[in-house]
Amino acid sequence: MYKMMQLWTPLSTVFRRVLPTTCCLASFTANSQFASLSSHLQSSSRVPLRYGLDFSPYSKISLLSFCSQSAAKLDSTTKRCWNCLAEATGSTPFLYCDSCRSIQPVDLSIDYFKIFGLEKKYEIEVDGLEGKYKDWQKKLHPDLVHSKSEKEREYAAEQSARVIDAYRTLSKPLSRAIYILRLEGVDVDEEQTVSDPELLTEIMEIREAVEEATDSQALNQVQSRMNEKLEETSDSFANAFQRRNLDEAVTCIQKMTYYQRASLCCSCNVIMGSTTLRIEEMITTDV
Amino acid sequence: MLRLVANRLLGTASGEVLKRPLQVLPRFYHENVIDHYNNPRNVGSFDKNDPNVGTGLVGAPACGDVMKLQIKIDEESGKIVDACFKTFGCGSAIASSSVATEWVKGKSMDEVLTIKNTEIAKHLSLPPVKLHCSMLAEDAIKAAVKDAEAKRAKMKPSPIEKAADV
Repeated sequence: MYKMMQLWTPLSTVFRRVLPTTCCLASFTANSQFASLSSHLQSSSRVPLRYGLDFSPYSKISLLSFCSQSAAKLDSTTKRCWNCLAEATGSTPFLYCDSCRSIQPVDLSIDYFKIFGLEKKYEIEVDGLEGKYKDWQKKLHPDLVHSKSEKEREYAAEQSARVIDAYRTLSKPLSRAIYILRLEGVDVDEEQTVSDPELLTEIMEIREAVEEATDSQALNQVQSRMNEKLEETSDSFANAFQRRNLDEAVTCIQKMTYYQRASLCCSCNVIMGSTTLRIEEMITTDV
Repeated sequence: MLRLVANRLLGTASGEVLKRPLQVLPRFYHENVIDHYNNPRNVGSFDKNDPNVGTGLVGAPACGDVMKLQIKIDEESGKIVDACFKTFGCGSAIASSSVATEWVKGKSMDEVLTIKNTEIAKHLSLPPVKLHCSMLAEDAIKAAVKDAEAKRAKMKPSPIEKAADV
């Protein structure tokens, strides 16, 4: 009848908010979590002593379990707002409480796809990201919480930074690919050396072409070829990932990294070329 | 790199004006790294199809680096008489491979297999985040030796054939 409830919020806050209303009692034995809860309780000056609870951390303790009218809906995974204790609705990720407009602490179990309300798939609607990103920042941005508590200002800084990271990661194919593999527990190893002769010879030839290109037109040609390759390999990744062939997926990511790097070098060399030209102009012009 | 170009161009135009490079940030690269970057030794290519040339081609996909290290073997002694490299990557990667080409010259193939990335890293005072560059250089040496040995094995008639000839 009385549901066991794991309290996510500090018990003192619960006491403050819920005591005046009806409450039900349940007793249960302590585990390690209650050791910390009870020590928190001991440090809080607001603990009402009349309940006669034994707060020694390592003995079996009876703790009041507070439940609201909607006890049936609550289970150990329901999140509550730290400020007003309103429940998180299942529909949107709980970064922000709509009831009291408080920003919530970062919950790492909410992955980037959830933040944007997307299925955990590699192929996503990139166009929709910007709108959702801006909507989030309208609620989470640190500029909106200047007058609030230090705790909430911290939450705002962390949440908004996380949403920015999520947006950047999901917007680009390569970072999205790396992220989605990481969620599957596969880290594209930083230190790994590859010696696939075919791939490396190809990359060597491309990088040499970039270095030896004489004009920006040649560089633009190489760059558009790189962008084509990036798209092709991105499709291969999607394919491999769908088939859950994670080794092949990692190889695709490695190729994409190389093509992206080559494309970046083209841009750099174009900029270098035009800068060199300007410097030459500066030198030849009379000062 | 921009600084380099600017220096070179301004240098040729008016020798005296800018002796100091356009320095804004404090230096973080060890002087050995800068030396190898500014004065790279042994940049180039040997003929891949030359039977006395071993080619090691390795890459670090996480950072998009590629490194090619080639060694020229003396037919009789089996020692490395020349080496060259071509690296596309960061300053630390370039310096690591440059150092590698210097260190392999005049040594036997067995000897160079004992060159450790930690020695290269120490010589260049590489920070932890750049240690994989020295690892790449070590792997390049090993790959080049492996290729050279494979080629030498192909060239030498096998013992069975020799016996059959007699």
